[in-house]
Amino acid sequence: MTAAAKPKAMIQDNTRCIGCRACMVACKSWNNRPADHTDFFAGPGYQNPKDLDANNYTLITFNEIVTGARPDWVFGRQLCMHCEHPACASACPTTALSKSALGPVVFNQNRCIGCRACMQACPFLIPKYDYNNRAPLIHKCTFCADRIEAGLKPACATVCPTSAISFGDRDDMVAEAKRRIAAAPGTYIPYIYGLDEVGGTSVLHLSSVPFEQIGYVTGLPKTPMPDLTHRWLRVTPHVFALLYAVFGALTWITHRRSRKQDHEGKTA
Amino acid sequence: MSWRRFRVTWWDWTLMAVMAIGVVLAVVRYAGGIGSVANINNAYPWGWWVGYGIMTMIAVGGVGFTITLLVEVLGVHRYHALLRPAVLMALLCYSGAIIMLMVELGRPWMVWMILVSWAPTAALYEVGWCAFLYLSVLAFEFAQVPLEQLGWGRMLSITRVIYMPLMLLGVTLSHLHQSSLGTLMTLIPHKINVLWWSEQLPLLYLFSAMMAGPAMAILEYLAAARWLGFEPQMDMIASLARLEAWLVGLFLAFQLGDLVLRGAVDAMLSPTWFAVSLWVELGLGLLVPLVLLMMPEVRQSRGALATACSFIVGGVLLHRLNVTVIGLRVRHWETYVPSLGEVGITLAITAGAMFAFGVLARLLPIHEELAPSHAGERRAAVPAGALQGARGVS
Repeated sequence: MTAAAKPKAMIQDNTRCIGCRACMVACKSWNNRPADHTDFFAGPGYQNPKDLDANNYTLITFNEIVTGARPDWVFGRQLCMHCEHPACASACPTTALSKSALGPVVFNQNRCIGCRACMQACPFLIPKYDYNNRAPLIHKCTFCADRIEAGLKPACATVCPTSAISFGDRDDMVAEAKRRIAAAPGTYIPYIYGLDEVGGTSVLHLSSVPFEQIGYVTGLPKTPMPDLTHRWLRVTPHVFALLYAVFGALTWITHRRSRKQDHEGKTA
Repeated sequence: MSWRRFRVTWWDWTLMAVMAIGVVLAVVRYAGGIGSVANINNAYPWGWWVGYGIMTMIAVGGVGFTITLLVEVLGVHRYHALLRPAVLMALLCYSGAIIMLMVELGRPWMVWMILVSWAPTAALYEVGWCAFLYLSVLAFEFAQVPLEQLGWGRMLSITRVIYMPLMLLGVTLSHLHQSSLGTLMTLIPHKINVLWWSEQLPLLYLFSAMMAGPAMAILEYLAAARWLGFEPQMDMIASLARLEAWLVGLFLAFQLGDLVLRGAVDAMLSPTWFAVSLWVELGLGLLVPLVLLMMPEVRQSRGALATACSFIVGGVLLHRLNVTVIGLRVRHWETYVPSLGEVGITLAITAGAMFAFGVLARLLPIHEELAPSHAGERRAAVPAGALQGARGVS
C-alpha cells in the first residue's frame, strides 16, 4: 500500500500519437460528459472541438507542420497538467481546488462560488466554465482521481492503442521519459514538458517538434506560480498590525493637538 | 426627519429608468445563466464586470479611506466637510461592488463559503474578508447620521465610543484589500502584457486608489454644490486639488519608474494597440490632469477642476481595464468585447449608487454647507473627532 501512495504521473508521448482520439472518448465516457454539436474550426489547427470546454476535459490538437520536406499532422494533447504547486488551488478563495497526495488536482464542487479565479490563474489555460448553466461549475480533467484511488489507471491511459499514454509513479515516469529521449534522439526533441514547468507537473509531455509549434504554452517560469502572490500575502498580517499601530498613533497625536486647542479655546 | 423638502427630479427618473433596465437584465441573467447576457468566455473569464463593476468600483470607493485618513488620522480638519459624503460614497461603491459580485459570480448563493474557508494563499480570500469587514465598518460609520436624525441618543453614544478603533480598522483594511486586488493579478505574468504586469501591482493598485479618492471627493463636492444648491468653499477644494496634483504626479512617476526599471520601454514605444492603450492611460489619465491641476486658475474653476478630476477617475478605470481585460492575451484567436447586457447591468448598478446618494443627500445632513443653523446646539454633546462638523468644534 505504501507503494500505491506514491505520487502518480502520466506521460503523453506525442510522437506515438496517431490522432485517433480514443482518449477523448474514454474521458467523456468516464466523466459523463455529453456529446456536443461542433463546427469546423480552422483557427489553430484542424481539431474538433476547437478547444477544451465544459464538456471536453481533454483534446488532441491537430497541428499542420512541415517536417522534413512535406507538411504533416503533428499531434499534441491538452489536459490538466496537475501541477505540483497548482496556481488554481492557490487562487481559490474557498479551497474548492486542492492537490491530493496521489497527484490529481481535485475540484470540490460543493465549495465553488464561481469566481473563476482558477481559470484566470491557470498558466496552461485549462479550467473551463459552463456559462449557460444556471448553477455553473468549473470543469477540467480530474486525472480520474476516483480511479487512481481505486488503484486503476486514468480512463484515457487504458484505451490508447499506441501506448502514447503511460501511467505510473512520477519518479518512474520521469525516468522512463528520459530513457525514451536518450534511446531515440532522432525522434524526440530533448525536452520533457512538465518536468520543471511552474515547479513540475504530474503530466509529462514528449514531442518530436518544439512544443510552441503544437499549441503548448511555453516560456513558463520553472518556479511555482503561487510564489508570486505568496510573497505579498504572507506579510499581510504584519502589515495589518503595523499600519493599525501607525494610524492609531497618528490619530492620537493629531487629536491630542486638537483637544488641546479646543481646551485653550474654551478657557480663553 | 426630512430636513429639506424632497422633490423627485427628472434626474431621479432617469436613474430609476436605467435601474429598471438593469433589473430586467438581471432577471435574464439569473434565468439563463451568465452566458445569456454576457460575452465573458473561457478565454476571458473576467471582463467588464470585474474590470469596471468590481475593480474600478472598489478603487473609486477608496474615497472613503482616503478622506478619512486625511481628516481623522492626519487631522487635516479643513476637509471635514468632505468626510460624510466620502463615507457615503464609499458605502455605496462597495455595496455596488457587492451587487456586481452577486451578478458576476457563477454561484452567488455560495459566497458565504469565503467566510468559512481558510485560504491564506488566495488574494481573493483576503479581498473578500477585507471588503466584507470594511463594508460593515462603513455601514457603522454612516449609521451615525440617521441615528442622529432619529434622535436615538443611547445607540449614538455607543457608536461614538467604538468609532475610533473601527475607523482605524476601516483605514487599515482599505490599504490591505486595495493592494490585494493588485496582488490577485500578479499571479498571471504570462497572460498580462508586459506594459501592465508588474511585481509592484499591489502598490500600483493601492496608490491609484488613493489618487482616485480626492478626485472623487472633489467631483462629488462640485456636483453637490450644483445640484443641491450651496456655495462651494473653493479655497478648501482648491487646496485639495493641489494635494491631488502631488498625488497624480507621484503616481505618474511611480508608474513610469516601474515601467522603465522593468525594461518595458521597448514595448511602450512599439506600435501596438497595447501601447496605445497605455499612452491613453498615462496621457489622458495622468499627464493631462496633472498639468491642469498645476494651474492655479484651474483649481479655482469649478468646470476645469471637475474636468481634471473626471480624467483622473477615467484613467483609473482604464488602468483597471488594461490590467484585467485589455492587456490580457491568451490564445491569439480568442477575443472579448463586452456585451450590451454586461454594460447595461453595470450602468444600472452605478445609477443605483448615484440615486441612493442623491436621495440620502437630500434627506440627511450629509453636507455641512446645508446644515440648519441650529446644528451647533446639537453638536454640543458630541465629542471631537466623531463624524460631526469641525465647525462646531473649532
